[in-house]
Amino acid sequence: MKIVIIGASAAGISAAKTIKVAEPDTQIVVISKEDSIHSRCMLHKYLGHERDAKGINFVHENFFAENNITWLKNTTVVDLDTDKKFVRTNDNQAIYFDKLLIATGASYFIPPIPGLREAKNVYGFRDLKDAQLLDSECKTAKNAVVIGAGLVGMDAAVALLERGLKVTVIEMMNGIMGLQLDEKSAEAYQQLFEEHGAEFLLSDKVTSVNIDEAGKGRTIHLASGKSVCADVIVIAAGVRPSFDFVEKSDIATKNAILVGDDLQTNIKGIYAAGDVIGISGIWPNAMKQGKIAAINMLGEKLRYEDRYALKNTTNFYGLTTLSLGNINPKPKESFDVLIREDRNNYQKVVMKNGIILGVIIQGNINSTGFWQYLIKNKIDVSGIDKDVFDLSYADFYKVDSISGEYLYAI
Amino acid sequence: MKRIIIDREKCDGCLNCNVACISAHEEGSNFYTVNLGSVDSETRNFIKFDAKTGYTPIFCRHCDEPECVLSCMSGAMEKDPVTGHVKYDESKCAACYMCVMNCPFGVLKPDNKTRTKVIKCDFCEEKQDGPSCVKACPKQAIEVKEVSR
Ligand SMILES: Cc1cc2nc3c(=O)[nH]c(=O)nc-3n(C[C@H](O)[C@H](O)[C@H](O)COP(=O)(O)OP(=O)(O)OC[C@H]3O[C@@H](n4cnc5c(N)ncnc54)[C@H](O)[C@@H]3O)c2cc1C
Repeated sequence: MKIVIIGASAAGISAAKTIKVAEPDTQIVVISKEDSIHSRCMLHKYLGHERDAKGINFVHENFFAENNITWLKNTTVVDLDTDKKFVRTNDNQAIYFDKLLIATGASYFIPPIPGLREAKNVYGFRDLKDAQLLDSECKTAKNAVVIGAGLVGMDAAVALLERGLKVTVIEMMNGIMGLQLDEKSAEAYQQLFEEHGAEFLLSDKVTSVNIDEAGKGRTIHLASGKSVCADVIVIAAGVRPSFDFVEKSDIATKNAILVGDDLQTNIKGIYAAGDVIGISGIWPNAMKQGKIAAINMLGEKLRYEDRYALKNTTNFYGLTTLSLGNINPKPKESFDVLIREDRNNYQKVVMKNGIILGVIIQGNINSTGFWQYLIKNKIDVSGIDKDVFDLSYADFYKVDSISGEYLYAI
Repeated sequence: MKRIIIDREKCDGCLNCNVACISAHEEGSNFYTVNLGSVDSETRNFIKFDAKTGYTPIFCRHCDEPECVLSCMSGAMEKDPVTGHVKYDESKCAACYMCVMNCPFGVLKPDNKTRTKVIKCDFCEEKQDGPSCVKACPKQAIEVKEVSR
């Protein structure tokens, strides 16, 4: 059987690995528009000059050769024929498949703000190429503006600060990383970033960007009337699943590629996994989806059930935070919101009727992996007679007597 | 593969496993010289205790389906196809701690001192005679056994 995988990132590589372990004789072709394998989650280490391109590769140096996989790099898929079963590439090759995995991820989005799309010094922060372009700007630029204070924006900011630029972060919400943090935990990070030289303009919005003779966006105007000077602008205002090349085909889409529980699209034999299916935007989920799609492509029937995606860990300047689920419940009164803190730690648990709905653990995040299990499986902890902050896996401990693996006693 | 099999009933919480683990990962130290007060002294296994649950040994299972490996975005966590053990390469790790979040049993943790790496059981792979914690347990509450994969 010949399997073609479009995309060589979390979902695509995890699928290729899974297939090679299960059925090593399967012929695999991986197509990617990029010419290197890299983890986007480490782009800030590249831009910050902590690691080179090799250092942010997440597979073995000879991954494709070792596994006998054909890799068409620098190759973009532009069209898909679901009847004749082939994809067409930018260099006009037709690559035929028995089964296809679409793992083309997402791309950043530039909001339609006057001047922003036209300006030549506006960069996203998604691919190594983006980081490389930013890297060369950093050689001369002094003032950087980051639009959006989500995780991607803060990754960019940390790297730009590392490079000695003056960094201003503009954010519509009233706190940074507003999807992952509450007011208190966000303030802790904001303070750290400010100590390292960043400035924040919160609860504010870019309304227009003035462009100079050279085509560069120089002055950024905000709804509040303020303005900021920029030599380089990073846009981190969200991403969209990328699937242009299926538009002329009969693959069903709705802002993302639609899949069933088996991660198969509406066309038999064509699967999709990772950010392109629009149900999560994080690495672990893309990996698991790639794995499950691969197993199903080999003829098994596995369902994608571990869908929980409201989860994140953050580590900036050595301050670590785990955040899960609904951490800013509304209206607050109808939830139990419990807080425990000391000078190094801030912990918050949001509950309702004994079920934990959200958790923030900032500071010491040792051994906190069990929280996700409790939340995603809606485990009632009201019967456990102890302070909720003292819960650990020990309260649910169970061992499989044959394999010795851990289970949950619930 | 080989796994450390736990008999919780036999554990009496002496923490010899912790000391052995710390010492095994501290160059040149032994049971008598190990500096337990040092910030570098980190155990990879834990005994949880409270009146209700008693002593609960929490040791890395080197799971058949390791969530830590599946969540790793740097390639630092890998399941060794030969030994079945989950290996951790500190030099690749980006300290994002997705693995800490995704280990359902709360085994993994950031290092205390720098928060730039993960503290993870390596099955004392470099030692000829197996995991140090097992050798140190006076109650045989933990034993290395062959399990099928
Ligand atoms: C700066 C940044 C930091 C992040 N940090 C974290 C983090 O700390 N933790 C976390 O869990 N997640 C993080 N994420 C999110 C995480 O990186 C994504 O969820 C993950 O990369 C999704 O993987 P994927 O395989 O679905 O797609 P992508 O990683 O988007 O990869 C898509 C692949 O498809 C290829 N491709 C796309 N279109 C075509 C085409 N037409 N033809 C050929 N090839 C094509 C691309 O070349 C690429 O190889 C971060 C993201 C960014 C941008």
